[in-house]
Amino acid sequence: MKFAKLLLLPGMAAMVAAAFLWPSPAQGFLGESSRIVFFHVPCAWTASLAFLIAAGYSAAYLARGNPWHDEIAASAVRLGVLFATLALVTGSLFAKIMWGSYWNWDPRESSFLLLLFLYGAYLFLREAVDDPRRRARVAAAYALFAAVLMPFLVFVAPRVTASLHPQTVINPQGKILMDTPTRVVFFAGLAGFTAIFLWMLSLDARFARLTRRGRDARLGA
Amino acid sequence: MNSLGFLAAVNVVVWVGLFFYLWRLDRRISEREREG
Repeated sequence: MKFAKLLLLPGMAAMVAAAFLWPSPAQGFLGESSRIVFFHVPCAWTASLAFLIAAGYSAAYLARGNPWHDEIAASAVRLGVLFATLALVTGSLFAKIMWGSYWNWDPRESSFLLLLFLYGAYLFLREAVDDPRRRARVAAAYALFAAVLMPFLVFVAPRVTASLHPQTVINPQGKILMDTPTRVVFFAGLAGFTAIFLWMLSLDARFARLTRRGRDARLGA
Repeated sequence: MNSLGFLAAVNVVVWVGLFFYLWRLDRRISEREREG
């Protein structure tokens, strides 16, 4: 595990450098703006993965009542909100270059903003309940409710009406429309961001567990 | 150095900084876990 983490240092450094220096800019985009895809899409993917993990561990908490599952779910949502915010910020930078405005109320922008609000509400909900067991139960139920809406906001709503957003990796042609350098850097970015997210998730959840154990020890003493 | 090279260098430095921050955090959490 330690080796895998160490491997991440040169791997991601190479990916980040290659994102700027290796692939040629994609056709049909202004200047170098297409390079944002190497950071924007992995952020959006990681956020979606985080919310799915949160749903899985929330269901596990409701089934077994293990507080460790609740801590993982809460950490996943915290990180999901962070990566979703990064996806929105990088998307807005692209929008400013391509469409002349940071925000255009495009269906994909709007649905992703709603997703951010949906999971932001989860974090507020957790803060609003004092009793740890009740908080975990209520939060787990909410995370499952949010997980039902999540695929609609990510996959369905942006495709219902015409959008300014460039064609996504999951497109009607069923093909990845990228040249080889772009494809290599893109998938390296997806793998790298996923690995960083999983590492951060482990750190955040372990810290939450330490905090709980410290609190329990103080209350027990 | 052109502007893309500069951006690449800045982003690599940011990543290396984040990596060592996470590495240090990981070590400190592991120490606390061992202390029980």
